[in-house]
Amino acid sequence: MSSKNIIEIENLHKSYSSHKALNNINLNIEKSKIFGLLGPNGAGKTTLIRIINQILKPDSGTVKFDGELLSRKHIHYIGYLPEERGLYKKMKVGEQALYLAQLKGLSKKDAKEKLHYWFEKLGATNWWNKKIEDLSKGMAQKIQFITTVLHEPKVLILDEPLSGLDPVNSLMIKKEILELKKKKTSIILSTHDMNSVEEICDEAAIINHSEKIMQGGIQELKDKYQEKTWTIKYKGNQMSFTNAVWGGWEIINHEKINDNSNRAEIRLLSQLTINQFIKGIVDHVEIIEVNIKSPSIQEVFIKATANE
Amino acid sequence: MSKIGLIIAREYTTRVRKKSFILMSFFGPLLIVGFILLTAHLSSREKEKYEILVVDESHLFDSILRNSPKYHLQWAPKEKNYDEIQELFKKDTDLDLLVYLPVNLIKTNSMTAKCLYKDIPSTGVQKHLSGVINEAIELYRVSFNNIDISTYKSIKTRINLDVVDIENKANKNIQRKAFVGIVFSMFIYFFIFIYSVQVMRGVIEEKSNRIVEIIISSVSTFELMMAKIIGVGLVGITQFIIWTAVTFIMSITILPQIIPNKFNPSSQLQSEKLLENNPLIDPSNEILQFIIYEIQWPYLILFFILFFLGGYFLYSGLMAAIGAAVDEEADTQQFLLPLTIPMVFALTMAGKVIDDPSSSLSFWLSEIPFTSPIIMMVRIAMGIGDSSVEVWEIILSLFLLITTFIGTTWLSSKIYSKGILSYGKKVSYSEILKWLRS
Repeated sequence: MSSKNIIEIENLHKSYSSHKALNNINLNIEKSKIFGLLGPNGAGKTTLIRIINQILKPDSGTVKFDGELLSRKHIHYIGYLPEERGLYKKMKVGEQALYLAQLKGLSKKDAKEKLHYWFEKLGATNWWNKKIEDLSKGMAQKIQFITTVLHEPKVLILDEPLSGLDPVNSLMIKKEILELKKKKTSIILSTHDMNSVEEICDEAAIINHSEKIMQGGIQELKDKYQEKTWTIKYKGNQMSFTNAVWGGWEIINHEKINDNSNRAEIRLLSQLTINQFIKGIVDHVEIIEVNIKSPSIQEVFIKATANE
Repeated sequence: MSKIGLIIAREYTTRVRKKSFILMSFFGPLLIVGFILLTAHLSSREKEKYEILVVDESHLFDSILRNSPKYHLQWAPKEKNYDEIQELFKKDTDLDLLVYLPVNLIKTNSMTAKCLYKDIPSTGVQKHLSGVINEAIELYRVSFNNIDISTYKSIKTRINLDVVDIENKANKNIQRKAFVGIVFSMFIYFFIFIYSVQVMRGVIEEKSNRIVEIIISSVSTFELMMAKIIGVGLVGITQFIIWTAVTFIMSITILPQIIPNKFNPSSQLQSEKLLENNPLIDPSNEILQFIIYEIQWPYLILFFILFFLGGYFLYSGLMAAIGAAVDEEADTQQFLLPLTIPMVFALTMAGKVIDDPSSSLSFWLSEIPFTSPIIMMVRIAMGIGDSSVEVWEIILSLFLLITTFIGTTWLSSKIYSKGILSYGKKVSYSEILKWLRS
């Protein structure tokens, strides 16, 4: 029976001699989605990734891959791009890519065909006979990305895939990640780049101090930290605006757009709703636009980890 | 190809394709042959003619000592004293040696003759001069005592002591064979050290550039460690085979042309006879013939490979563990020292082993796995099944070596698997102990 989730983690514990790295982690990662794995440094993300990669064994708990208990046979279905990237500096690009592809179970012939496809796609064809040490950091990163996705894994684990890339290459890799998602690849994206999470992730989980503190869709996470903050654009006098409703709200920011128009950022307090607030001001100023101000994932992250 | 096969192949091919490997494969044997030639050349390189100033205080030697093509004697002026003659000798650039024969030398046995030099003469020349002086004194005394010269010659004997093993009478030149063993044990030391350090460096490289995380997501840490050790070990074997082949080819092609007749077996007997009669004969002849005809090369090569592999597996496993435990090569010192001490100790003890290859010290050093690859090579070179080493001792030594390297490899793999993922902190012995216990 096919599972809805590609990865299911239950009650996962892992300790090192001096500290607890993961404490009772429960996590489901849906198929064909981009899943953001977020958390401060030392939170336990790398340990979790290493367990999924079977580099480390958990002390207790289970990890299921597509409904089956994770085992060595699943190695070929996982592609892993570690955070601290590196390749053999003295080895030639093509030779090295072939070697890593074969380690992931591809035949030499298949690996060559796929490598030529990817090298062409990412404009790396001329690098085949160059040594890694002769490439720039960004070029080497592209090569590593290719070697990670080459064997068409079902799950792609990318640890900071965009760090160190210039904006053009960063955009290129993001595009490729989204294309892989379209091709039904499930992607785990571990990153501190919150803009990328907002841009491309469907879901995310935040891990802090070895524990999962929240998980959900990106909007769902934002909603949890929604603070009833609104932006209101209006025509009229600022004094009329501020005196229209007595109590139950506070002004966070106010700015004049032009002679007639202003923009106010307000936070509603206690039981006051936005409807009640609008009713209160509508006779005193002309409302042009009302928007709820959603927190960014970065704000969610900071608040969530600060609360811990 | 299996994944382990792939890793072995990568470790092997990347190393054997390096320029340094190719250069060393061919220059190594050149260095060896060059060293042999240089030794032979230096030992045979003597002045063709010596101008010797003789101070004969007794005035009795001038009628006995004679010139020879190599040694031309000049008699010091009788009116000058010894100090003045020394000054004369110093100033005269044509003179090579000053031989001082004190007045009572011929009459008593307690006096000493002196030989002053500008450039030190070889031991061969020294031996020759002392032989000539002794013979002159003997002849004088024969004549002085009215002994018939032919009677004297029939009494005079020169006995050489042949030290021969009762079990194997062909086993001669045991000390020289030991020298070959020393050379082999130094080779085994360098091979074990160089290649196990290569394993350590390879591990540090993979750890520091983090590619290890990608590889161990495909194979286990134990498989990676073993594949690396096997791959690098094969490079060592390849280098040794190339060295052996190139040295052999050069020995049979180049050497005979450089030193004609010295490689002709038929001249061996002749040479031995000459040696008996003349201690000053060019010794390189004999050394080269000994190297070529008396050393059991097939056994030496076979056991070199076996003991190299055993010692290499033992040390490279531990080196891999060290490589995994540290972040960079500079941190390896504290861990490397305890590993190199047994090997260096074995090398320094090789002299003692030569003195008495069947002593209990020799036995234990050649059985303890951390010293056995080096010491056993010395004993094997001195003769298998002879007074040096018995076959069962070699088998036991190999058995102990293999079981120990299995044990150390198991321990190393525990350290390796923990260390390879541990970054950014200096690892201490206590930390390693924790890894071993966990």
